[in-house]
Amino acid sequence: MADADTLLTGQSKAGDWRSFERVILPPVRDLHKIDVYEAEADGYKALKDVVRDGKFDPKGLTDEVKASGLRGRGGAGFSTGLKWSFMPPVDPDKPRYLCCNGDESEPGTFKDRQIFEYNPHLMIEGIMLAGYAMTIKTCYLYIRGEYDDYIQHVQRAVNEAYDRGYIGKNILGTDFSMDLVVHAGAGAYICGEETSLMNSLEGRRAYPRIKPPFPAQVGVFGMPTTINNVETLADVPLVVNRGADWFAGIGPEKHPGPVLYGISGHVNRPGVYEYPTGMLISDLLEVAGGARGGKRIKAVVPGGSSTPPLTWAMAEPTTMDAETLREAGSSMGTGGLCFLDEDTDMVSFTRRIAHFYHHESCGQCTPCREGTGWLEKCLARIDEGNGHTRDLDLLLEVCDQMEGRTVCALADAAAWPVRWGIKRFRDEFEAKCRPTAFASGALGGDGATEQTGELTPTGVPTT
Amino acid sequence: MMTPDTPGPSVSPQPQYVPGQAPPRVIPDAELVWTDEEAAQIETFRAQYPTPDGAVMKTLWLAQRKWGWLPPETMHLVADTLGVPYAKVYGVATFYTQYFKEEKGTFVFDVCTCFSCQVCGGYDMLHYLEDKLGVVKGGTSEDGLFTVQEAECLGACGSAPMLQVTNGPYVHNLTEAKIDQLVDALRQGAELPFESVTLPQDGDEMGGNRRTDAQAVETYQTPPVSDTIH
Amino acid sequence: MPQVTIDGTTHEFEPGAKLLQLCLDAGTEIPHFCYHPAMSVPANCRQCLVKAGTPIFDRETKEPVLDENGEQKINFGPKLQPSCSLDVTDGMVVHTQLSSQEVAAAQADNLELLLINHPLDCPICDQAGQCPLQIQAYKYGPEGSRFEFAKVHKPKRVQLGPNVVMDAERCINCTRCTRFTAEITETHQLTIINRGDKNHPMTAPGEVFDDAYSMCTTDICPVGALTEDYFRFQARVWEMAKTPTISDFGSAGINVDVWTKNNEVLRITPRQNLDANEYWMPDAARLIYETYNEGRASGPTLNGTPTTWEAAAREAGRMVQEAGSDVLFLGSAYATVEDNYLLMRLAEAVGAPAPQFVDRRGSQADDGFLVSDDPAPNTEGCLRLGMKPVDPALLPSAAASARLVYILQDDPVQAEVLRVEDLEGTPVVLHGTHVTHRTPATVSLPLAMSVETLGTYVNRDGRAQLLRPAKMVKAMNRSLLMAVGTGQSRNDRVGTPFDRWHDEANQVDCLPGWATIPQVAAALGVDLTFKSPAKIMAEVSAQPAFAGATHGAMDLLGVPLETEDADVPQITA
Ligand SMILES: Cc1cc2nc3c(=O)[nH]c(=O)nc-3n(C[C@H](O)[C@H](O)[C@H](O)COP(=O)(O)O)c2cc1C
Ligand code: SF4
Ligand code: SF4
Ligand code: SF4
Ligand code: FES
Ligand code: FES
Repeated sequence: MADADTLLTGQSKAGDWRSFERVILPPVRDLHKIDVYEAEADGYKALKDVVRDGKFDPKGLTDEVKASGLRGRGGAGFSTGLKWSFMPPVDPDKPRYLCCNGDESEPGTFKDRQIFEYNPHLMIEGIMLAGYAMTIKTCYLYIRGEYDDYIQHVQRAVNEAYDRGYIGKNILGTDFSMDLVVHAGAGAYICGEETSLMNSLEGRRAYPRIKPPFPAQVGVFGMPTTINNVETLADVPLVVNRGADWFAGIGPEKHPGPVLYGISGHVNRPGVYEYPTGMLISDLLEVAGGARGGKRIKAVVPGGSSTPPLTWAMAEPTTMDAETLREAGSSMGTGGLCFLDEDTDMVSFTRRIAHFYHHESCGQCTPCREGTGWLEKCLARIDEGNGHTRDLDLLLEVCDQMEGRTVCALADAAAWPVRWGIKRFRDEFEAKCRPTAFASGALGGDGATEQTGELTPTGVPTT
Repeated sequence: MMTPDTPGPSVSPQPQYVPGQAPPRVIPDAELVWTDEEAAQIETFRAQYPTPDGAVMKTLWLAQRKWGWLPPETMHLVADTLGVPYAKVYGVATFYTQYFKEEKGTFVFDVCTCFSCQVCGGYDMLHYLEDKLGVVKGGTSEDGLFTVQEAECLGACGSAPMLQVTNGPYVHNLTEAKIDQLVDALRQGAELPFESVTLPQDGDEMGGNRRTDAQAVETYQTPPVSDTIH
Repeated sequence: MPQVTIDGTTHEFEPGAKLLQLCLDAGTEIPHFCYHPAMSVPANCRQCLVKAGTPIFDRETKEPVLDENGEQKINFGPKLQPSCSLDVTDGMVVHTQLSSQEVAAAQADNLELLLINHPLDCPICDQAGQCPLQIQAYKYGPEGSRFEFAKVHKPKRVQLGPNVVMDAERCINCTRCTRFTAEITETHQLTIINRGDKNHPMTAPGEVFDDAYSMCTTDICPVGALTEDYFRFQARVWEMAKTPTISDFGSAGINVDVWTKNNEVLRITPRQNLDANEYWMPDAARLIYETYNEGRASGPTLNGTPTTWEAAAREAGRMVQEAGSDVLFLGSAYATVEDNYLLMRLAEAVGAPAPQFVDRRGSQADDGFLVSDDPAPNTEGCLRLGMKPVDPALLPSAAASARLVYILQDDPVQAEVLRVEDLEGTPVVLHGTHVTHRTPATVSLPLAMSVETLGTYVNRDGRAQLLRPAKMVKAMNRSLLMAVGTGQSRNDRVGTPFDRWHDEANQVDCLPGWATIPQVAAALGVDLTFKSPAKIMAEVSAQPAFAGATHGAMDLLGVPLETEDADVPQITA
């Protein structure tokens, strides 16, 4: 690729981010209270404008969201307006549902929780607007069970909104009615996968479903359903209030908008930051106070545990938007960045991620149920110093056997960090391995038998 | 850096409940009933979903809050109350880690050792707790007060390492001193306050926590723990 | 009709078809585990992966896009797809493992994964020899395994219910068993519990898996995770012979395979017939296997003393002749159409009233599925022959006034339509099957049971189906030998075709009705000899009620008979 074509310019695509004013979590004290939200943050203005005053009809609202360029913040980054337009025409005999995905279980992701706590009404307003755009009568807000405190907190906000007539029958005196049900999970990462979430809502074992049929055709309770992430829906009132152009003008053209970056790991000021998309990873490191203890950052996981880790050299010129991250060899995921410093053991780190996916695989389909365990066991052996270099190639092959062959994307999510961890930090992995000599043939080793004499990690004798 | 246990060989386990053998009864018949208030609540749950199955998870939560864990008779009661097959309820309960299928201590510490927490010392915290309480993870202290478990990411990675107490409050930015305080407070019967995690940008722009109704923890004041990681 | 190209061969298909079923129907095997045609499709085993593509059309002209060779361009997606859940579309091009190395490799990969935590204890596994996992691992699997770690351990030898034992380590989590209890019997007794690689099926705590059809899960389980309790460790499947026949359990006409070894029935499993029992059978219909082996009446007797077949037939003939038209003939809803027909011909020859039979309809509860209210298999056949049910009120006096009672197979005393006292002073000729028969016999000519004869049953829906001999009786005759096809090719799928027919062990000394009734008739000077039961049925099928029901036509799946009942609305095209 010619230099001019590359997105990895090392330049921020977030515009004048230093003077960016936060809009999802604006600096307003006690914003979670409905009075404050209404008085100080244009609260429920968008809903009134649209539902009562006819600023947009349902199709117009969908088009506006499409025009804003808003892309899902739940991991896949799909165009939100486009997704809404997949809903079939309204059939009065068929209920249709909206699911708001607040399962937030991807390791390294903790942004939706801040919306629950600090600006729940923005999300609620967004839910109501999305419901209006798709003529939906019920929305299920699925929140992971561990967020017990936040579930109660959100439920209080929902009750307030019911009391003010923003949810329920004949909203704002119109004939638009919609209910919002808060549903608590109970400890299963897989419930964040959209079809698994639907099975969970239906009171089944949360196995993801095969697609097709897609949720827009056959979703929760067998009815047309749209599912969006909490942050995605929280962006909708902003689009309505400030216009699609405003939204589209923030950050890079193809992946615009304000976004919550969850920054964790070896930084001095971890936490959730709101900035435009397209922030340079190095700028984010700077706002997060730099590396702890003055160390060097060695690796960055840019979007939650399933996104491939980047070496610092790869991460430094990379900006946080889907296209650039893809070019850099990773993905935007949930925008949860984890910075790892030079002392981090990438083998243990990868092993712990593999443990997570092994623990969370629903066990429905073969490659994931069996493969995640295999990855963990093999990585554990290497981590404990009993592995051989050939195990690394085996791991890559097991990743091949898992990727793209399962019901849902969890198997891919499990394989990527292992595959790219090995590819990008192979020397670290090899340093923990016992040498295998089988490749060269000269030594006649079979990899399973201990080799005598000094061998380099690749099996070539030093003498 | 510390890591989870090596999955090792073991023998074929017995099933927790053997078909045809009545499981030991935990809740006597007289107590195995919903109060009027709970029954009304279950009706509300039911009304929220087009099928009774939709209310299974909420009713299981209600049962667990009431009885502390889910002995079989409580799952049976949930099934009967909603008119859902018992086996189905059991299948659901065993899918989710937060439903307790065996009795736990009064307080359950779910210590996150995943991902960000791992690299910020989650295992140190786990092992410190294990040593302090004289238990191995998964086990319960002799006085029956504390169960220590290793947890997957709890969605509070910015305030790692952290733990959750009995499916409820989060305790952020753990240190050994903070764990000592926590255990003492719980022993003395203290209610744990809700800890609100300050946004770093709020720190800059609003001088700290934005909420006037919650206790704040300031994320970025955590001492760097990566020094201890090798 | 729309078309699909599979491995280069073009097939037509009905819209709505799923690819795997289409391939199987077309004779292309694709390895698979979780798919079962009678149940929902979870596509969870991921074994049936194929490469499927659809033709590319130009967006504007709607014309197919051609490549440089003038061939239509096909868009194969980036991923392989599970064929079981894939809707076939017009113009689709499919590569199975036969024409794509990529597909074959993916299937091998999946089998390697399926086996990494599998105990691989085939030498002691009851499923070995008929195990889809074992068979497909040999055919499509990798050479070996690269898994060098401790396997996951799960509960073994769990008695899930009275009839089913589980070894969870062998389970591949295909969910066929749980889908069976959820979708077919709707008892919801099984669920998968836990998560990830700790998953396995289980009952609710302490509950017993006592579904009346529980053993169907052992049939559909593609591994040895669920096995029939009664059959565990009884025999290796390759030591047995399997005969496709019809169960004599009730009037549903359940198509079965009867598994025998050393002339003993060891196991009965359902045989697919979508017009009868589909894929299923109740547990009760399997557990009768012992009745074929135990307590059998063996060898003819005269007043309780063993005698020869010739002497017994001669004596029976003499008794019939002596009684003349005063013989009370009782046919049987347990006997075949052929045997009942011969009995009617015998009665006609001596001028006696036509045989009647004991009608057992209504004597048990109908479960709305495969257990009907009628425990007898051939009531419909008897009715179609024109036989009338006995009137229990009149039977005792009829028996008392008769000079001879001639009974085929049934046990009127056990059926409580007759008491032993009613028969005092009246001699009885009996073709019975068991020593426990409660009706006393003067002359006993032991009868072959349904698993030892060749003949026809008509089920409750008027479907005529063919019985085939699964085990050998002592007095083997040529028709039976022909039927079992000794010396001819047999369609045994499992087992050795020759063992049982040359095994002397456990042979019961009995004969089918169509062999003994003509012997009795011959003693009277009446010729009822047919070359084979097929010839009898050829004659019976001349009657409108049996039109078309020749042995040749019935073959493995039977034929539906015309219903003349005017009350039954006929569906007209
Ligand atoms: C294994 C797995 C876990 C997921 N977890 C979450 C989650 O916790 N929260 C979330 O919003 N989306 C999650 N997703 C993505 C959802 O499936 C879905 O794409 C998203 O909720 C759609 O919302 P969006 O379009 O607003 O991003 C997950 C996907 C997979 C495959
Ligand atoms: S990929 Fe994993 S999590 Fe997804 S359905 Fe299959 S087993 Fe379940
Ligand atoms: S289930 Fe099949 S592959 Fe497994 S041990 Fe039994 S026979 Fe062998
Ligand atoms: S026990 Fe058999 S049928 Fe049931 S899930 Fe396991 S492999 Fe499938
Ligand atoms: S990694 Fe511990 S809370 Fe996310
Ligand atoms: S048969 Fe297709 S996935 Fe199992």
